[in-house]
Amino acid sequence: MVSNSNINNVKTKTIGEIFSKDPKIICRNVDVFYGEKQAIKDVSIDIASREIISFIGPSGCGKSTFLRCLNRMNDTIDTCKVKGSISLDKEDIYDEKIDVVTLRAKIGMVFQKPNPFPKSIYENVAYGPKIHGLSSSKEELDFIVENSLKDSGLWEEVKDRLQSPGTGLSGGQQQRLCIARAIAVSPEIILMDEPCSALDPIATAKIEELINQLGKNYSIVIVTHSMQQAARISQRTAYFHLGELIEVGETKKIFTMPEDKQTEAYISGRIG
Amino acid sequence: MNKNNSKMLTADEASKIVASSVIRRRKKDARLKTYGRIAIGLAVSFLIFLFVSIFSKGIPGFFQYYVTLDVYLDRDRLDPKGDLSPESLYNGDARSIVLESLYKVINPKGRKEKKAAKKIISSNADVRISKMVLDNSKILGKTISITFAVDDDIDSFLRGYIKRETPSSERRINDTVIKFVDKLSAENRISYKFSDYILTGSASRSPEIAGIKGAFIGSMLTLAVCFIIAFPLGVATAVYLEEFAPKNRITEIIEVNINNLAAVPSVVFGILGLAIFIGVFGMPRSIPLLGGMVLALMTLPTIIISSRAAIRAVPPSIKDAAYGIGASKLQTIFHHVLPLAMPGMLTGTIIGMAQALGETAPLLMIGMVAFIVDIPGGVTDPGTVLPVQIFMWADFAERMFIQKTSSAIIVLLVFLIFMNAAAVILRKKLERRW
Amino acid sequence: MNEYTLLILLLLISLLWFYFGNKTALSLKNKQLKLNSLPHYYGIYVALYSIIPSLFSYLLILVFDGILFSNLIMEFVPKEILNSPDFNKTIVLAQIDNAVRGIYFGEQPDWVTIASNQMIEWNNQSLILNFFCSISLALGIGYLGFKNIHQEFRSRNSVEKIIISLLGLSSIIAILTTIGIVFSVIFESLRFFAIIPASEFLFGLTWNPQFEGAERAGSGQEGLASYGSVPLFVGTFLISLIALCVSVPIGLFSAVYLSEYANKKERSIFKPLLEILAGIPTVVYGFFAALTVAPLMRNGGSLIGLDVASESALAAGFVMGIMIIPFISSLSDDVINAVPQSLRDAGYGLGSTKNEVITNVIIPAALPGIIASIILAVSRAIGETMIVVMAAGLAANLSFNPLDAVTTVTAQIVTILVGDQEFESAKTLSAFALALTLIVITLILNFYALHVVKKYREQYE
Repeated sequence: MVSNSNINNVKTKTIGEIFSKDPKIICRNVDVFYGEKQAIKDVSIDIASREIISFIGPSGCGKSTFLRCLNRMNDTIDTCKVKGSISLDKEDIYDEKIDVVTLRAKIGMVFQKPNPFPKSIYENVAYGPKIHGLSSSKEELDFIVENSLKDSGLWEEVKDRLQSPGTGLSGGQQQRLCIARAIAVSPEIILMDEPCSALDPIATAKIEELINQLGKNYSIVIVTHSMQQAARISQRTAYFHLGELIEVGETKKIFTMPEDKQTEAYISGRIG
Repeated sequence: MNKNNSKMLTADEASKIVASSVIRRRKKDARLKTYGRIAIGLAVSFLIFLFVSIFSKGIPGFFQYYVTLDVYLDRDRLDPKGDLSPESLYNGDARSIVLESLYKVINPKGRKEKKAAKKIISSNADVRISKMVLDNSKILGKTISITFAVDDDIDSFLRGYIKRETPSSERRINDTVIKFVDKLSAENRISYKFSDYILTGSASRSPEIAGIKGAFIGSMLTLAVCFIIAFPLGVATAVYLEEFAPKNRITEIIEVNINNLAAVPSVVFGILGLAIFIGVFGMPRSIPLLGGMVLALMTLPTIIISSRAAIRAVPPSIKDAAYGIGASKLQTIFHHVLPLAMPGMLTGTIIGMAQALGETAPLLMIGMVAFIVDIPGGVTDPGTVLPVQIFMWADFAERMFIQKTSSAIIVLLVFLIFMNAAAVILRKKLERRW
Repeated sequence: MNEYTLLILLLLISLLWFYFGNKTALSLKNKQLKLNSLPHYYGIYVALYSIIPSLFSYLLILVFDGILFSNLIMEFVPKEILNSPDFNKTIVLAQIDNAVRGIYFGEQPDWVTIASNQMIEWNNQSLILNFFCSISLALGIGYLGFKNIHQEFRSRNSVEKIIISLLGLSSIIAILTTIGIVFSVIFESLRFFAIIPASEFLFGLTWNPQFEGAERAGSGQEGLASYGSVPLFVGTFLISLIALCVSVPIGLFSAVYLSEYANKKERSIFKPLLEILAGIPTVVYGFFAALTVAPLMRNGGSLIGLDVASESALAAGFVMGIMIIPFISSLSDDVINAVPQSLRDAGYGLGSTKNEVITNVIIPAALPGIIASIILAVSRAIGETMIVVMAAGLAANLSFNPLDAVTTVTAQIVTILVGDQEFESAKTLSAFALALTLIVITLILNFYALHVVKKYREQYE
């Protein structure tokens, strides 16, 4: 347990309000190293329940790296070391007691490139509930699959061909399938790593609408390259630069009157 | 949205279920990891077992037992013609001179004991004396102490493979011989030292004087022929297929054909050599030239495939640069592509040569299994190669051949290790380039 | 004067042509004329012009005079030898050949002396013919090339054309090898099937090859030799199966461990270690199987009351299994690594354990490649010879018991074809029929494996 007293007692260079009233994830002084190279420098930020927060910043600024720390996807990289504390519901997720499997069941992830398994649509969504044992009968599983597909807005399009391969769908549909797959395990938080960068504008619009819907039930952290997208969907926005969290705040404020010069430069298109 | 499906799990419920399943799943995971470790452990221990078993037999094979005798080198008996020619020495009586000096030490009584005493010293002892005299005729007429290899059965006895406790009738050497050997050791005349024969001797039915020099040179000659044929042909084919071949059916057939050749069992190449090179072209059997040609055809696919990969790995920007300053396609390839692809091509070639060096079956079929005592002086002299020599020795009954075979295997393995190390170094060099 | 001096002479002539070509080009250049190509290309052009046709004629005569003479010389072999039942062309030729080289074993029959003298004379004549043909080609065609040299002559393009055709020619060698293999096997096999019906060969249950003369040659003693290949294929199958039982689990689990669980350091140690297993010569494995593993199994078997033959399928198959571990582990490792990282991420992102990602995501995706690697290992096991020859024995038992001695197709091919053969006998010919079936089987396996791998690649490209 991270004690309550020093949570909001942190030194940071970040401009803006890093704290939130109802924090789900609390990150304090997070450093990330790849071997000798430091990719993330002293990042502290809160992520609230049922908020949509975007991470923006130029390429290589560390926003994706930081995102992957939140559900310990960086564990798969041998050389990657994380320092500082990240806690979910006030429990340190890098604690030895925490099993990464339970963690990732709570914090789902959607990737840059749609990556459905080379299996049927049904199997793709049912995979998570199956491995975690979330259903005790075929009916329950069917129900979870149907609901997840409905929630991701894909149900009407695929309900007649649940057994056809997931890789046969269009790019946008594949990405929504991946979102359905993520919500099928009933997570609390969904991380999205540039989920629309491989999609065309129409598919992007659909995903954005879906994210807005999902924001009512889940916390969503989305990394994006498109500032318009961040402006459209998120309540808060965090600007990263060279591994540092430069500025955080209400999306409206960040895009209209950023306090930091770098943020302003990026917003107005001078960096990036 | 969640309102109309009361059965959908909440996040809390879900995470409880997940948490309860985690221990079981972690165990399963650990089990798979253990299986993997066991598999690798098994494979590595097989490797270690193989090496230990070969080396423990083979290292002693480099050594053997000798007996030291004071021999009076009688001029008249050794060199009856008196001209110190090899024929004269060959006709001389070196064998009985050696035996006489042996009798002086062990005093055999009667014919039976003398017959037993004859078994102690290798039949090669007279050749050794002749050689010494040929090298230095001044020793004639003097008494000098000379070390001779003991016969292989005595060697096995001294190593403890033939046991004293075994009843005499079941032993390859009888009690009298053992008595003599004991006497020789009591006088400190038996010594154990690095073998004079294993590296410099040639094939022989007597294991104590058998060596691998002939087979080694045969291997080198065969490999040289194989390289001279396979490397240029392989590289030329790779260059043609990669850079010039039109994309048509013939090219496609050639490519499929090369892939299939790589999968053809090696015995089939032996049949090819037998039926075409010997049967149709009338080449003589048993010669390194023929062996090299057969092995060249066998390794060609390996060389072609790896050379093509090496050529493909050269960045196109380098070619563009050469074209940009007006070099012709051939000039670009010879001046830029080939030098850069060379380490890769050589790596593939060395791996192919290593395969060829260890190959046995096809060479057996083209007659390189013949028992050849002479050391081949050229690619058209009959000869054998190391793996075939190993195969032949492994078949012989004498206990000492097991050690000699293992020693020959060690030499072969050391050679292979050198070749593979060269390939690894070349590959490293290649990696550093871009 | 012999073949080698002639070869050196040809090389010298082409070198001379290079010199002249080069010199002429230089002198043109000195006259302030602008040459189309660099001077040395003119030299190379003339040299190539001279050496290629002359070398061709040189090799042609060298190879084919032997074939011609060995047929012509049969005129000198007395009729009674030619017509005798144990006439063997190879031995007769060897006899004459030895006489030509001046090697004699005891008394020579007169006809051998006469034939060998004739042979020596023919050889000399052929050498003189070769000398005149090759030298005149080297000089004549070289001169034609030399005359082509003038200021506007595009020598570089011509040289390049010649070199490219040479490169193309060398790629034909691979085709020629295949044709050679096919021819050498098919004709002898057809002759074999003329003596032994294919149905007996394919379905017969006893394999007992004997030299001609004792049987079939007449006297109603049929049945002494039999050529039913079923025991050989059963033996091959049995040994390959044992090998797979050893290598598939070890190879697959190693591949999974190395690609998914091992860290970089472990990988860099164990991967090459496993690959050493593939680099050890098969004769070494054979020795190891025959002298270490087989006695171990025999002793171990007798401890638990099993009677293991001293040359057992088990020992040979086990050692062969060790040998093919790296074929399975390396290839499977490659295909497992080729499974896109995004699929792994998808699995881990949902909270799968490694085990779950491997069994539910990676193995299904990599399955075609893994199957291909196993097929290639099977084809390797079927074609393996030395281990079987040395450790499994030559007894053609029709047995599925791994403790028995069995033999395989390759082992029989080698034993039949090693040493002197009677080329006409059914025994010798049977080896070619065996080889034919062996080639067909391995090629089918290889084709199938490559096809599977190709399909698999397409899936991820």
